[in-house]
Amino acid sequence: MPLCPSCEIEAGDWESIASHMAGMGDSCHTMWLNRNISISRISPGELAVSLERFFRAEDGLGEWVRRKVVERIYSGPHPFIAAMQRPSRAILLGYVYEHRHFLTNWVQVLSSVIYGTDDERVIGYELANIATEYVNGAGPSHFELLLRMGESLGANRQDVLASQPLSGTANAIRVWRGIAKERSWVETMAAMHSLEFIADRRVKVLGASVHYFNVDILDSDLYTPEARKFLREGYEADSYHASEAMKLVEEHALGQMVQRVQLTVLKSLDAVSTYLNSRLERARMLEGSS
Amino acid sequence: MKIIVNGREAGTRDTGCALCGSTWGDYYEEIDGQRLFFCCNLCAKGFTNIAEGIKGAWGPFEVLTIDGSYSTGRHCTAMKGDQRRTFFVRFTDNADIEVFRQEQ
Ligand SMILES: [Zn+2]
Ligand SMILES: [Zn+2]
Repeated sequence: MPLCPSCEIEAGDWESIASHMAGMGDSCHTMWLNRNISISRISPGELAVSLERFFRAEDGLGEWVRRKVVERIYSGPHPFIAAMQRPSRAILLGYVYEHRHFLTNWVQVLSSVIYGTDDERVIGYELANIATEYVNGAGPSHFELLLRMGESLGANRQDVLASQPLSGTANAIRVWRGIAKERSWVETMAAMHSLEFIADRRVKVLGASVHYFNVDILDSDLYTPEARKFLREGYEADSYHASEAMKLVEEHALGQMVQRVQLTVLKSLDAVSTYLNSRLERARMLEGSS
Repeated sequence: MKIIVNGREAGTRDTGCALCGSTWGDYYEEIDGQRLFFCCNLCAKGFTNIAEGIKGAWGPFEVLTIDGSYSTGRHCTAMKGDQRRTFFVRFTDNADIEVFRQEQ
């Protein structure tokens, strides 16, 4: 039985959900329709068809998530991704200062998935992900590579570690922590790993006009070896990570949980957009001060 | 005040929400003696924040063009006579001002 994508009340069919949504008129329902269906009012009948189509995941939940990531982040594309086609030093430093907070929160939220599940494969998967992102083992962690990129661009490591997140980053982190606290581990897992699809090499196949960053950077002398190393690691790891995670999510998301996962992923994509704005904002602040 | 949202006149039930252009919802608010249509109370709050911010920074204006969206922020150009000023505005989820700055 479908859920209202805004308040999550249950109804027998999409027609009932559509009438309910069109009749509510409050900011939550209206904004959901604006962001996901259309800013033009349509009849409840047409809306029912649109909603059913919006949530249909014939080729699997993982593919649905991948498509939404491209629609949300790459139609435009997002201004931060536009800036990453030829990033200035300030843009990369903005990345460093804000992403430091993102990564700490990342492992904290993934820990809640481990806490919530009894599936040993999920526990193993998330522990491996946390190790790659956060723990220096055979090689430097993603976090360490981020700090090294910052240092290579002139930022002081202690200064990066001691900095406070900008408000957009803090708000996004609040959303992700809220998801970890209030939603099931399956939804939390999907919400977090959907974000790794942003750097997926396949985004262009799904209609994006550009990649997450201009891949020529990886071989360009214009960027420090540390910056290239950081970007390369993400480029090679994220799509593998996300696909594996989504397979586990698909196994556990049955019945109504499919739509709950979809709704939670959309919340996470709104949050990441806010977060990416903060990287730009930080870059602007750094430009102004240098 | 004439309002143009993403290239189209807005502010009535037919033309759409004065901030985002949406024709969903049913919310009105009087701003400077003009009854404007909004899709929801948050858009009304956001619009008021923009109008008040520009009036505070520059003064009253006759035309306001708003280009952009909730996720990336909005470039707002206020005009009076042959003068104009553009501001970049982004809101929090609650339609409070997160960024407000004059451009060029
Ligand atoms: Zn509802
Ligand atoms: Zn609106």
